[in-house]
Amino acid sequence: MDCSLLRTLVSRYCAGEENWVDSRTIYVGHREPPPGTEAYIPQRFPDNRIVSSKYTFWNFVPKNLFEQFRRIANFYFLIIFLVQLIIDTPTSPVTSGLPLLFVITVTAIKQGYEDWLRHKADNAMNQYPVHFIQHGKLVRKQSRKLRVGDIVMVKEDETFPCDLIFLSSSREDGTCFVTTASLDGESSHKTHYAVQDTKAFHNEQEIDALHATIECEQPQPDLYKFVGRINVYHDRNEPTARPLGSENLLLRGATLKNTEKIFGVAIYTGMETKMALNYQAKSQKRSAVEKSMNVFLIVYLCILISKALINTVLKYVWQSEPFRDEPWYNQKTEPERKRNLFLRAFTDFLAFMVLFNYIIPVSMYVTVEMQKFLGSYFLTWDEEMFDEDTGEGPLVNTSDLNEELGQIEYVFTDKTGTLTENNMEFVECCIEGHVYVPHVICNGQILHDCTGIDMIDSSPGGSGKEREELFFRALCLCHTVQVKDDDSVDGLKKSQLSRRSCIYISSSPDEVALVEGIQRLGYTYLRLKDNFMEIVNRENNIEKFELLEVLSFDSVRRRMSVIVRSSTGHIFLFCKGADSSIFPRVKEGKIDQIRSRVERNAVEGLRTLCVAYKELTAEEYSKVQKLLQNAKLALQDREKKLAEVYEKIERDFILLGATAVEDRLQEKAADTIEALQKAGIKVWVLTGDKMETAAATCYACKLFRRNTQILELTTKKIEEQSLHDVLFDLSKTVLRHSGSLTRDTFSGLSTDMQDYGLIIDGAALSLIMKPRQDGSSGNYRELFLEICRNCSAVLCCRMAPLQKAQIVKLIKLSKEHPITLAIGDGANDVSMILEAHVGIGIIGKEGRQAARNSDYAIPKFKHLKKMLLVHGHFYYVRISELVQYFFYKNVCFIFPQFLYQFFCGFSQQTLYDTAYLTLYNISFTSLPILFYGLMEQHVSADTLKREPSLYSLLYTEMLPRMLCCAGVHLFIGHS
Amino acid sequence: MAVNYSAKEEADGHPAGGAMPGGAGGAVKTRKPDNTAFKQQRLPAWQPILTAGTVLPAFFIIGLIFIPIGIGIFVTSNNIREYEIDYTGTEPSSPCNKCLNVSWDSTPPCTCTINFTLEHSFESNVFMYYGLSNFYQNHRRYVKSRDDSQLNGDNSSLLNPSKECEPYRTNEDKPIAPCGAIANSMFNDTLELYRIDNDTRTPITLIKKGIAWWTDKNVKFRNPTGDGNNLTALFQGTTKPVNWPKPVYMLDSEPDNNGFINEDFIVWMRTAALPTFRKLYRLIERKNNLQPTLQAGKYSLDIAYNYPVHSFDGRKRMILSTISWMGGKNPFLGIAYITVGSICFFLGVVLLIIHHKYGNRNTSADIPN
Repeated sequence: MDCSLLRTLVSRYCAGEENWVDSRTIYVGHREPPPGTEAYIPQRFPDNRIVSSKYTFWNFVPKNLFEQFRRIANFYFLIIFLVQLIIDTPTSPVTSGLPLLFVITVTAIKQGYEDWLRHKADNAMNQYPVHFIQHGKLVRKQSRKLRVGDIVMVKEDETFPCDLIFLSSSREDGTCFVTTASLDGESSHKTHYAVQDTKAFHNEQEIDALHATIECEQPQPDLYKFVGRINVYHDRNEPTARPLGSENLLLRGATLKNTEKIFGVAIYTGMETKMALNYQAKSQKRSAVEKSMNVFLIVYLCILISKALINTVLKYVWQSEPFRDEPWYNQKTEPERKRNLFLRAFTDFLAFMVLFNYIIPVSMYVTVEMQKFLGSYFLTWDEEMFDEDTGEGPLVNTSDLNEELGQIEYVFTDKTGTLTENNMEFVECCIEGHVYVPHVICNGQILHDCTGIDMIDSSPGGSGKEREELFFRALCLCHTVQVKDDDSVDGLKKSQLSRRSCIYISSSPDEVALVEGIQRLGYTYLRLKDNFMEIVNRENNIEKFELLEVLSFDSVRRRMSVIVRSSTGHIFLFCKGADSSIFPRVKEGKIDQIRSRVERNAVEGLRTLCVAYKELTAEEYSKVQKLLQNAKLALQDREKKLAEVYEKIERDFILLGATAVEDRLQEKAADTIEALQKAGIKVWVLTGDKMETAAATCYACKLFRRNTQILELTTKKIEEQSLHDVLFDLSKTVLRHSGSLTRDTFSGLSTDMQDYGLIIDGAALSLIMKPRQDGSSGNYRELFLEICRNCSAVLCCRMAPLQKAQIVKLIKLSKEHPITLAIGDGANDVSMILEAHVGIGIIGKEGRQAARNSDYAIPKFKHLKKMLLVHGHFYYVRISELVQYFFYKNVCFIFPQFLYQFFCGFSQQTLYDTAYLTLYNISFTSLPILFYGLMEQHVSADTLKREPSLYSLLYTEMLPRMLCCAGVHLFIGHS
Repeated sequence: MAVNYSAKEEADGHPAGGAMPGGAGGAVKTRKPDNTAFKQQRLPAWQPILTAGTVLPAFFIIGLIFIPIGIGIFVTSNNIREYEIDYTGTEPSSPCNKCLNVSWDSTPPCTCTINFTLEHSFESNVFMYYGLSNFYQNHRRYVKSRDDSQLNGDNSSLLNPSKECEPYRTNEDKPIAPCGAIANSMFNDTLELYRIDNDTRTPITLIKKGIAWWTDKNVKFRNPTGDGNNLTALFQGTTKPVNWPKPVYMLDSEPDNNGFINEDFIVWMRTAALPTFRKLYRLIERKNNLQPTLQAGKYSLDIAYNYPVHSFDGRKRMILSTISWMGGKNPFLGIAYITVGSICFFLGVVLLIIHHKYGNRNTSADIPN
């Protein structure tokens, strides 16, 4: 026994250095595992205290001061203040000390208050009572005392105090429902599953008797990923190992619903919970105005230094005659006379610096921050941007980027859910070339008549009938839709949607549309109970299928599969997915007919899915099951291994048919895009959809017009010619025209100019982006950018989420450094939202992940128009004038001071009174401009909305104005 | 920053369980923003667009208002009589040339007499100034070389003046009262004015009180306090400024114009902003309504020349001036008004012509391109 212990120890340390670092072992209920199985190595984990506050009572003053003096302007004033204290200066230290103190205090109070609020929130959370089990009894304790390994009981409507592994539930089937509204904003109920071996434990004593260890990865912030393994010990037997996935994990912050109580074991606590990891600060985006503000500061610092230098030099030139230096009426003291000339000159220089230091506006940062913060309220208050249907208004997550909204040159938009409603409607299905359309009545009401199927083609024959049935069953079974049998739903809607009182919920609206569509065609999905999927067929008979495996959907594979066993014992694998991912895997079926139908539908802007199946023999299935089980148990690279297994399983399909789902355009999407284009903004659509569908949407929302010449840069074309040739051909076409025409900024307006639209797909893009051995990749990128620059609209289809970000980055880093905006609604848009200068999330159906990661969130795409054209315009004008005024007023203030030195013998005499010097910056001149900066509307909002072209004027006019204003100010300062 | 925080608060706050008042149901209702003019940014605003219709009248109105104002100011300024004599004596022909290199303590003082003729009579009260040029009363070392609390009659400061007064703080281990460079260099020429009428010199009464600011005389400058009113005793223990011929308590015979509250001293202590300045020296009051204060005719100015300015290229002047509602003689303001008004009027005419000739061509374009 000792040997085995030693062996495990050795193997643990030798083989698994990596293992040791990347995973943790948790002893459920702090029970040691039975001897001989594994060494009991207690690990130390943090307690369940959440600390979101930045400061404590003790370190507030030093830490806050340190943070504040990291800002250049504050540090500069500190230096000036110290200089004033040390040397004999014209102005008393109060004049710069007081404003500095004021600014520092105001900021410290603001930050202190915010931190106090955080402390309060932390305390409330840390002291929240939690029930957990100790020695078979239920004990109440404060949440912060929770430790990893504790078994916790959570009742209905309570939030989970830490990340838990779901052991058992009061529900018979070992499931529970949670909402993650406060985590990612999705309010739909999600089902989580208890660990198979423990789901039978229903009371404290039973659960306390559980003897198990959990191995899982170290905490990481991804909310939707989790891999782990539970080893349950039964007496002296070998432990049974079970895979743990995110479906077994209950996250802190989520709320338990529809379930009386659950038991779970804490695995991540306190700051290691996924929620806490997710609230770690994102990288700060900084606005262009702020950057230019720093440039201004440096320019003004140079002006300041040169002024001081000029005066020092002139002073010594002027003083070279002794009667000027020391006339009889104004003698120096003895020490002054004896002082070293260079030391004297240096002190004089510093004294001049002090005298002119007010040229740097001390209160600018505070005022600008106040203006941005308060100004952002106008956005959230805007009634026109409030969406009545969802009850959501715009959200401002960072007010730092307000003015960027007025300088956007590129808009990258997602298609599904952003341009389109993401409100799917089943339009038709095509089985083996026969088209079925559910009965739709004109006024939008749908008849639920199982015989109401229009068959466009003649009725299929015998084998067709069989396929048809299979097709419907496939659609009924191959999904992850949940059925919500909620009574609170109003009866009217219920009766319209289905014969039975149930509502389908899914994270993907396509699936709901499909299941509902199939229901209209006669097959109703009832529920999933004890791993049996129940469906009602046309004859109103309930058919039961045992759900064996779900090969869930992911955006790389673009398909999903289920393996089910019918009541007759046949094992089927049903797969549905994008045509491109299904067709290559099909070995028989009427591919050509279906393909042509799919393509036709795609051109009409419908979303198409293909359905295929294969029958598995019992041996095949057991093989599949083994593969899956292995992959699922893997702690490392589970994703990758699973993908490999899926690849192996999903092949040799028999094609059944295709479906078409319509996704309607969002309200006023076309109008918004048109306005944006008129405003000189280039709109790019980045979508994962297929080219035909995406192009159809683009035409519908007027991104492409009828006279737009479409350039294609797709895989198909590249296969015919080399990438090199295609690119050069395109650039020739584009450049020929733009070269011959005088450049018109109103690209969208002029009808005589040839419009170009570019369509590029993901594969072609990765070819362009791929660095080449001969180092000529730069040329391709440049060429591609050159083509894009000359196209009024670009459509990128078949994009992976990361590719979206890549495109945004490519444009962002191109040589003009344009300001980019990315807008999207789904998790797949998060990367591009984070990448772009301004990220906008749509508070939409695909969860709130995009809105959470964005800088601004709006309820609908159409609100983008007002956001950019009106609010952005205002913000930009306001902040520009605010910043310009700040520098202008200080030049005006200080220049007379400079000139006065010529009249007072360069003796650093001040022109203004001390109080005036002090208050000028902190109140006399900063408050009026703050109000101006909040209220200014140089053109009315209606005009701005009517004339989008004013937006581009703003950009072309304000930028040079910003650049030359320093010079202008100096001239004004003279007079 | 704060906005970032509030987003976080929202996320963190909810799990805290009831920390936030108002459930989701109530929140939906209140989330709709108020339809107020302020929140919807519909407060009345003035967005002027410059057109010929607004700009032309503006130019004409400015011109029409400014020109009469300018003329009025200019005429007023011209009506002010001012006469200025430079008595520095740098030119060899000047009667004061002999005194050019006087020192502070020459006794008896060098005196000189300058005769002059007033072409016009001075009707109202006349102010007599002395003017200095190239004298940097605004030099920083000079400006701060004083002790205001000493001048305010503070007894401790009297005997222990501020360090700012260096090197005019102490003399022979005794504190100087008043200390500092400003007091030390007090102007000490004596000017006397005579009217020459058929070779008889009649002295003109010069009033030496009422030349300082009321606040300076009554608030800012106070003699030290103590038993009795004997200034000599009150200034006991102090010494006179180095350059002064006599101590501060002997500046004048009248007790309410002696010591720190001597008006000549107070006037000097208010430092000038520019190196060329004038300071009020005496007042000449109009005696009766029938005669002008100073008739046109011959006058002579007797100068006790004590104040050396040649060493720093300075100049000394005596100025006689009347005043009006707008102060002393200042033609610039009137000229500036007239110039601005004229330019506006001229521009108005030019723009009117341009507008009249070419204005009809593009009536539509309000938006610049």
